[in-house]
Amino acid sequence: MAEIKLKLKKKPELPLEADIITPDNLVGKTIAEIKKLAIYHGKEVVKLGDFFDISGKSTDINDTKIIIEGDLSNVKRIGEKMSGGEIVVNGNVGMHVGNQMNGGKITVNGNADDWAGAMLQGGELEINGDAGHYVGAAYRGFWQGMKNGTIKVKGKVGNETLAWVNGSKPGNRFPKLICGSAGAFLGIHSHGGIIIVEGDSDRCAGADQVRGTIVIKGKISRLLPSFKKIGEVNEIELPNGEKITGKYIEYSGDHSVAKNHSKIDKKTGEISNSSNGRLYIAA
Amino acid sequence: MSLNNLILLTGRTINQGVALEGGKTTKENVRAAAICTFDKDDFKKLDCLVGTPVKVITDHGEVVVYSTISEEGPHPGIIFIPMGPWANQLVNPDSQACGTPTYKGMKAKVEVMRSGRVLDALELMKRLREA
Amino acid sequence: MVERKIKTIYDVVCPFCGTLCDDLEVDIDIKEDSVIEVRNGCQIGTKKFFSSNPSGHRYLKPRIKTNGEHKEVSWDEAIDAAADILVKAKRPLLYGFSSTECEAQSKGVELAEILGAILDNTASVCHGPSLLAIQDVGAPLSTLGEYKNRADLVIFWGSNPVHAHPRHLGRYSEFVRGYFRKDGRNDRFIIVVDPRNTHTAQIADLFIQVKPNEDYELINAIRAVLRGVELDVKEVSGVSIEKIRELVDMLKLCNFGVIFFGMGLTQTLAHHRNIDAAICLTRELNDHTKFLLEPMRGHYNVTGANQVFTWNTGYAYSIDFSRGYPRYNPGEFSSVDLLIKDEVDSSLIVASDPASNFPAAAVKNLFKHPLISIDPHETPTSAFADVVLPAAFAGIECEGTAYRMDSVPLRLRKVKNAPGECISDKEILEKLIIKVKEKLGE
Repeated sequence: MAEIKLKLKKKPELPLEADIITPDNLVGKTIAEIKKLAIYHGKEVVKLGDFFDISGKSTDINDTKIIIEGDLSNVKRIGEKMSGGEIVVNGNVGMHVGNQMNGGKITVNGNADDWAGAMLQGGELEINGDAGHYVGAAYRGFWQGMKNGTIKVKGKVGNETLAWVNGSKPGNRFPKLICGSAGAFLGIHSHGGIIIVEGDSDRCAGADQVRGTIVIKGKISRLLPSFKKIGEVNEIELPNGEKITGKYIEYSGDHSVAKNHSKIDKKTGEISNSSNGRLYIAA
Repeated sequence: MSLNNLILLTGRTINQGVALEGGKTTKENVRAAAICTFDKDDFKKLDCLVGTPVKVITDHGEVVVYSTISEEGPHPGIIFIPMGPWANQLVNPDSQACGTPTYKGMKAKVEVMRSGRVLDALELMKRLREA
Repeated sequence: MVERKIKTIYDVVCPFCGTLCDDLEVDIDIKEDSVIEVRNGCQIGTKKFFSSNPSGHRYLKPRIKTNGEHKEVSWDEAIDAAADILVKAKRPLLYGFSSTECEAQSKGVELAEILGAILDNTASVCHGPSLLAIQDVGAPLSTLGEYKNRADLVIFWGSNPVHAHPRHLGRYSEFVRGYFRKDGRNDRFIIVVDPRNTHTAQIADLFIQVKPNEDYELINAIRAVLRGVELDVKEVSGVSIEKIRELVDMLKLCNFGVIFFGMGLTQTLAHHRNIDAAICLTRELNDHTKFLLEPMRGHYNVTGANQVFTWNTGYAYSIDFSRGYPRYNPGEFSSVDLLIKDEVDSSLIVASDPASNFPAAAVKNLFKHPLISIDPHETPTSAFADVVLPAAFAGIECEGTAYRMDSVPLRLRKVKNAPGECISDKEILEKLIIKVKEKLGE
């Protein structure tokens, strides 16, 4: 892969909005051209070259690898709407990393702030640290959040992760999150997301979920009263066909958005337990 | 004496509202807002007189206020401080990325003060400014 | 005895809380131009009228801080100093606006746009979560008159109007006689949900004591029971399942219900998700009967601030103009979060007192940077401000428009002249805009 290297010269005092840093924007440009690209520091428009040392060159989006070094915890919107290629951030990263991306891969070797991978449309976001609140969530007022792609977080994710996630089996879209542990309101208003928590989760996981599958391999601090226990299972089949084995307690819900027996199976004519989401917690 | 495992709530009271309209830097505001109201039974455990200064401590800060018994009880385990500079030394500034800090429902503990003074609003601000 | 010449002004709108009572009578001493009596107002509103009289804590002239001491200066000097601070800042914050009239608020938007500043109003620390939830799931709202005339079931959830909106109960929600509720209080069933047995709860028909921070679970359980789900649990948030069932039956059987909700939902953990769930509950109750809900807005014109900001920028609060066009994201551009992360390098506070009302960690950083305060009287914010611009009280000393909590606009009245050199917020902001434009070379 052709590499473009960026190194942060000094930590900005005010947040730096660098939505320009995506393979789509940097490809086919000379170093001098890249250095002139505009980024926002407070209300000032500054040049990318003012804050970063830049080297490397690439001509094809999908063959581009951008490597960013330094403490970017105050740099926002890296990888916004990227469509291909790869970004590797060696350090912490600010808000909105990889928001609305629809292809390619971002790896963060550090912690990410809020809104990481918000409204992801495709591609892969990997965070080898903790992530803030609203990972993969829908922006304010949107009814359809993350639609496809995968987010992997090694550590903890904050509150309202994957809010309004919108997957579709017929549409072959399976938005997926794998995280170490989770904050409150995991997968709120989910419409078909797949969430796997390797550790524990805070209160209200799966609140208001219509469809969707949440697997918690640890404990949940407080289960919502509107979830109903179905029984114990030894194997979980996820909507995308993957399987997880192990002893889990299966709950159906959220029943505050759907009635107990709301679906009649078309083939058998039997009333199914419910049409809505599933929550699995390790037994 | 001291009490642990309390939950702190904050909010408007009419006395505090009147006092702040009458001048936020006045002594009335101290009397109206620098108070901590306890459930009757909790207050007995503190073993002190109404009006004794107490130090309220949360994970986010501490402040000295006057103690009193709640008119809006019973609410065992809950203490209440009217909104204002004193309550705000204790509240959880984390908004969980929604913009609004968590002003209510912090874990708190209370110690009765043998000596100590309740600061007025401007003294509190001075302390913050110099910190 | 000195003879006094008194003028009485009727139908004055009270500029204190979101109830915006419009039936006050104010007696003015013509010679001294001071308030001597207020009738019909609540304790707090009355006090506000009296505190507009010159006193030890009322500013009469602009002030600039030099060597740690406030010094009275002329308007030109003060405006120049303020504009200087704003123009030099890379990321200024304009905050407040909820206790002033709409005309001043729209000037605030103009100034923020010129400066590329962050614009926020006090909704960001009170009913901001309500606005977020309304954006997510909509809201069945109505005007207060409807509730007064029709509601036979009133719920106060996390709200204590006896203390915070003293005349709300008497004018709209509890004791008042309505067109279809001829017997007033006796025709209404009042339910209060709160962690404390508040004074509002003490005069209610049913009090439900919920554990702090667990409102979401309770609403969630009510919604599930309403859908006919048998719950696995016996108790939710300290409330037994039997009591929840009883409550759900009451909600279903009423003719017209309303939920008034306050800070008890927005300022606890879960914030906007509490409101989200309450709105969904209200929506679902409309399958059975008529149900509405209403946020109990605090400042008298915070609703107006949201309206004015929205029609100017598209967003109600937490707006960032740094890229020349408005963007919005509470949590990223909201004042408290910005201050805690220390991302603001100067602030202009209009008719508000963040030093009293923000968490200590945010106040510390507010004081670190240059601070301009537009306020009629001394507050913990203005006392430490670098520039103090004395304002006339909107609704007492100058006219303007304000929005009631249910978004009904009312015209504020001028009952007396402002003392000293005080001018209205609108005029101050206009002066600032001219000066800032001049300094930016526009």
